[in-house]
Amino acid sequence: MTATPDILQSKTAMHASASDHRKLGLALSLMALCLLAPVALSFGMRSVDWTQIWSALTAYDPTNPDHVVVQVIRLPRFLSAVLAGAALASAGALMQGMTRNPLADPGLLGVNAGASIGVVICIWILGVSDPAQFIWIALGGGLAASVLVFALGSAGRGTPAQLILAGAAVSALGLALTRGVLLISQQTLDVYRFWVLGGFNGIELDTLAALLPFFAVGGIATLFAATTLNALSLGNDTARNLGVRVGLAQILIGLAVVVLCGATVSLAGPITFVGLVVPHLARKVAGSDMRWQVLLSAAFGAVLMICADLTGRLSLFGGNMQAGVMAAFLGGPVLIWIVRKHGGGTL
Amino acid sequence: MNRVIRIGPVSVQVSPRAGLMTLLIGLGIIFACAIALRAGSFPMNTQDVLAALTGDSDPMHKIVVYDLRLPRILTALGAGAAFGIAGAMFQTMLRNPLASPDIIGFNAGASCGALFAMVTFGGFVLLGALIGGALAAMLVLVLSWQNGLHPYRLILIGIGVSLTLSAFADLLITRMDALTAADMAKWLIGTLNARSWADVIRVTVGLGLLLPLIIWLNFVLTRLSLSDETATGLGLAVSPLRLTITAAGVALVALAISVAGPLPFVAFVSGPIARRLVGHGKPALLAAGGIGALVTLLADTASRLIPFVSLPTGVFTAIIGAPVLMWLLLVQARKGNII
Repeated sequence: MTATPDILQSKTAMHASASDHRKLGLALSLMALCLLAPVALSFGMRSVDWTQIWSALTAYDPTNPDHVVVQVIRLPRFLSAVLAGAALASAGALMQGMTRNPLADPGLLGVNAGASIGVVICIWILGVSDPAQFIWIALGGGLAASVLVFALGSAGRGTPAQLILAGAAVSALGLALTRGVLLISQQTLDVYRFWVLGGFNGIELDTLAALLPFFAVGGIATLFAATTLNALSLGNDTARNLGVRVGLAQILIGLAVVVLCGATVSLAGPITFVGLVVPHLARKVAGSDMRWQVLLSAAFGAVLMICADLTGRLSLFGGNMQAGVMAAFLGGPVLIWIVRKHGGGTL
Repeated sequence: MNRVIRIGPVSVQVSPRAGLMTLLIGLGIIFACAIALRAGSFPMNTQDVLAALTGDSDPMHKIVVYDLRLPRILTALGAGAAFGIAGAMFQTMLRNPLASPDIIGFNAGASCGALFAMVTFGGFVLLGALIGGALAAMLVLVLSWQNGLHPYRLILIGIGVSLTLSAFADLLITRMDALTAADMAKWLIGTLNARSWADVIRVTVGLGLLLPLIIWLNFVLTRLSLSDETATGLGLAVSPLRLTITAAGVALVALAISVAGPLPFVAFVSGPIARRLVGHGKPALLAAGGIGALVTLLADTASRLIPFVSLPTGVFTAIIGAPVLMWLLLVQARKGNII
């Protein structure tokens, strides 16, 4: 977040070539992450000073309350926000590249809707209220929904518009069923409404460790998938002529998106904003090279998520506002500003 | 194949397929009305309904049909048609199937206004929704106007406004106690419970006033759906036209929300379904209105038929609309049509 305006100003000031912007953007956002890390570890209901943070990380002492706050609460929270932001944003960039629609986001594959309906049924029928327990159901629901979307979207010719319509239909169906359950059961609504907004509060290091393999697999799949995006962005037929196996590439992209989003949804609830908007910011810096778009999206997404999480901890927002809500709050005006300043009339 | 009918200086292009499909949609609506009149917790058979409609029957039947069911059915038809037409307008104008009114900020504005009214004044939900929705639409228009309205910019700014407003709505909901939150959740989904003849009159008069504009736009939108350059070449003033269409769409959605709440998915699903039934290259606003009316009426009837729990209409619009769209996608894919 803080890095984005800097990048754009330096872009106009320096008149550097496109590849310099990309490297500068990446370096600035990595620098922002390094600067934000100690802030995220020290800031909150209980302030922890710098020396204590260092000793908590190097020489952990379970009897020292400052150490416990850093190790048990703040460190997992920081890492989750970085992972979730990067995962959602790069998944969004993949989706937008593949469908060639700037409105596409991971929620469109039905992952969020599928995971939500899984979680709601879990709370409603099994009476579970601990996020660590509904990870697998959320993943399963997300996977099932996205398989349905892909099956509907790739039947016959399988055009991008068909995929988008299928995704929207499946998402809406899942959302309606979720709402139905929530209206029937008051208790479910009470548990669900805080999960659904997306927050990194109360995530434990164990939960994060359990999900880390999913993020790793998703990340590797993203790296491979991103190399085909430049060809895919020219249209399926052209991509085929350039030697890309379109069906295989689409399956790989879908897999990366499902794994990344499923893991994020189980970790922090469905966060809608990041995957949709961050790729637009990244595109302004990266230009038309899709590989850079994905990479920069991941970096910007991580920074945005940390900023959102930190702002949510301000007393102005009750000291504990969910990061998903804050991301939309902070990112909405930025998106509008970017579009007004740089957005032309073309895609 | 299309036929051209000439009457003196006026010539109209008529597509038999579009005509047939519109006729079928109309028949579907009549059939759904018949089901909706019979269905409900008060048992009535077809003779009872017919007798109540024609005049001589026992007063209880008359009350159920005239004061409870008929207003609800007619409101559902009117609101659904308004949503469907508005959705098809936005989708055709912005050339993107995702660009229905709920994407570009209108529904988020309405929800936000309703919640804000509930939190600060403890009521005036409807007024809050109308003002909130209109303000959001105005904000989107003002922010995206730069030497004209471009689809891409309008959609992206609409998304920015929409997401910021829905985040604000979420924030307002977490500030409420669980009971009020559940109440508001019901309103925010949209319900047609306890409609009166006043609602029917409001939605009918509104639609009647906008009908000439809609019919004119149906012709114009065909050209606008090509590309900005082609449309300008064909003699359209593209940006003022977009402004007119947005204003008309906003008026239609405001009308529908004021009688039925922000029913989800109707505006989104009607256009694509109508397009696939009527055939490509035509905006098919009236067919989309018919589909919207049909989906809303069926959803409302379903919400009345489910026993034990009272679920609002909005839960069923997607449950009925989404499978239809999925089925159409499959059928078209199998035929090898380009979607």
